Amino acid sequence: MRREPIDPEGIVWSRVSPKYLRVRLIGWFIGSVIYLLIFSIPLILRLAGVWPDFPPLAIAIALPAVVLLISAWRGLLLPRQVRALGYAERDDDLLIRSGVIFQRTLVVPYGRMQYVDVAVGPLERAFGLCTLKLHTASPATNAAIPGLPAAEGARLREQLSSRGEARLAGL
Amino acid sequence: MSVPDPHPGMPYPGPPRDGAGPSDGLLPGAPPAPGTVDDSWRRVSVISPLVRGWIALAAIAFFFGRDWFEGLFGPGAREGLPGALGIGLTIALILGLVVLIALGFLVSWYFTRYQVTAEYVRVNSGVLFRQNRQARLDRVQAIDVVQPFLARIFGLAELKFEVADAGESAVRLAFLRLTEAQQLRATILARASGASVAPDASGGIAEAPEREVVAVPSGRVIGAVLLSGTTVLLLTAVVIVATVTVVYRTPFAAPTLIPMALGVAGAYWSALNSGYNFRAALSPDGIRVRYGLLDTRAQTVPPGRVQAVGIDQPLLWRLKGWYRINANVAGYGAGAPGEGQARATLLPVGTRAEVFAILALVLPDPGTVRPLEVFSAGLDASGAAEGFTTAPRRARWLAPLTWRRSGFAVTGTALLVRSGFFHRRLAVVPHERTQSLSLHQGPLERALRVMELQLQTTPGPVAPSLSHIDETAALELFSGQARRAAEARRRSIPEQWMKPIQQPSGAVMPPPPSYGPPGAGFEPHEPPDSPPRDQGAPVQPPPVQPPPDQPPPVQPPPDQSPLDQPNRQQIPEGPGTHEQR
Repeated sequence: MRREPIDPEGIVWSRVSPKYLRVRLIGWFIGSVIYLLIFSIPLILRLAGVWPDFPPLAIAIALPAVVLLISAWRGLLLPRQVRALGYAERDDDLLIRSGVIFQRTLVVPYGRMQYVDVAVGPLERAFGLCTLKLHTASPATNAAIPGLPAAEGARLREQLSSRGEARLAGL
Repeated sequence: MSVPDPHPGMPYPGPPRDGAGPSDGLLPGAPPAPGTVDDSWRRVSVISPLVRGWIALAAIAFFFGRDWFEGLFGPGAREGLPGALGIGLTIALILGLVVLIALGFLVSWYFTRYQVTAEYVRVNSGVLFRQNRQARLDRVQAIDVVQPFLARIFGLAELKFEVADAGESAVRLAFLRLTEAQQLRATILARASGASVAPDASGGIAEAPEREVVAVPSGRVIGAVLLSGTTVLLLTAVVIVATVTVVYRTPFAAPTLIPMALGVAGAYWSALNSGYNFRAALSPDGIRVRYGLLDTRAQTVPPGRVQAVGIDQPLLWRLKGWYRINANVAGYGAGAPGEGQARATLLPVGTRAEVFAILALVLPDPGTVRPLEVFSAGLDASGAAEGFTTAPRRARWLAPLTWRRSGFAVTGTALLVRSGFFHRRLAVVPHERTQSLSLHQGPLERALRVMELQLQTTPGPVAPSLSHIDETAALELFSGQARRAAEARRRSIPEQWMKPIQQPSGAVMPPPPSYGPPGAGFEPHEPPDSPPRDQGAPVQPPPVQPPPDQPPPVQPPPDQSPLDQPNRQQIPEGPGTHEQR
């Protein structure tokens, strides 16, 4: 993957599991269908004749069409978004990057870590993945690495805990 | 206090104050002194249920009193005996209810006990649902001694012990006698600082000495309140309403001002109440802040507990050259808008000289040889002066007003983030306090090759964020800051702030750090190496602890023997103590 301007130089990013794309795609598909159904209600009611003429036909059609368009756009972006997720362990800190259009790179020093969470949802479990989340004393630190293979997640958790302990600095 | 009292004549012996100051009794093998805080379980003051429950009592009195009062004059009140019987019944009912409530409070009071050991403070509370809470002393982030108005009348105070939970206080003891609360605070701070040599040598830990650094005159607090944004809002509303009234010739717009006026009065009141009689002082246990008109508060923030400092200047304050200082302290959290904001304030309104005095307390080592110039540039300059890196010129499309002002500077110990065109802000984050850093870039920013850098600190009023910084500079700052933070953490003082910093024995607490004598009317508090005054002052025990809105008289040690507690430093009464008034 090409280096974005936001990436610090000389960093080799560890990418998350490619299987995570499937998790995201399934989630995206379910979400899209639900949204599409909700926003199709005016159109269905209109065609069924329950609502005689309140929403103009153009709006009733445009609503699901716009939702479909947005869903398609998000679906197209998903593979790139998953590929854009990355993390890198350095000597003193952990780097996490994310985002394609709105990009973000986060650095969390090991000594600032208060605790590490590993969470597994039903979809992730089906694919043998997990989400690792780092917590610092600041709730604004949003340091989550989704889509890690379970073994890698466990290894990273142990690694982070031991490094955090070695560099523990209170607050 | 439940300890043996060798001075039975005194109601409350207090710490032994034989002139040796705070170090007394901390030596190993010191004889157990009177008035000590030992490890026994104790209860809060007996009157505290009354002070806490007075609202309930007042409400009962009000409702029943009104019924009875109305009954006196209502129809059927003059029927003689039944009325008298009714009155008797009512009084009995009221008394019964009051007794019941008092009993409830009394039971809850009886079951609430606390203990301070060498390492922990523990509180047991609850009758049906018992709660045992224990907080490590060395995890202390701040200690507040609060006196609500009613408690103040009774000479009581509430003690709040904050750890980095950012939520409710870890330990709240309401209410203790004021002297007791202060004694407890001194004990907790002494033990938390690691100054206490032996855990059981708890004899007479006196309040650490302190030196006043800034006192805000009340006239300025009123002026600051009047020049605040609330006033601008009020004036705007009055002008709009007046215009509407005149143009449409209708008086109906005027009543909308009434709720507005109430809100403004409330805002004025809270600003006045929290800024009134504001004093900041330095002690070995950290920064002491006192304020309050009706409710008074004395806050102690130990060294190294300030996570970020924000200095800001509302537009109208530029007329007078005033600034406000807020700080993020982990224990205070984001808090409620009113109280939380007041607690996070290190200086409600101050001149630039006072800003530097407070900054010097929070950041004793500014990490630059020209701190005054650098911080001044951060306060109100724009452009690249004094090492500030601002947004590049091409960023003016995104930030037409602020691109020249928003920028950052890095000193050896802290990162300065400058922003705001009308309402000027400067955030100072010590390198070792950075929790995490993040770079953000959206499509527009990518097109203009700029980035946003955010620093995450503990919750509080200061949220340092740098927008529209050139890509190369931002990346350099990002990696540089991560490295500097790691380096600074290795050098930073540990949780027990007294333990490792071994002052040479006999060392005298230096005057409060200041950024040296500058040009712009800044008076240094004391020449850096002037000898401490009153070195041979006669030994005299000062009176009982003064109320928290007065700094306790500082007793210089009469004899600084090498055996004297090397860690607990002394503050001599210096000539510059009250200069700021």
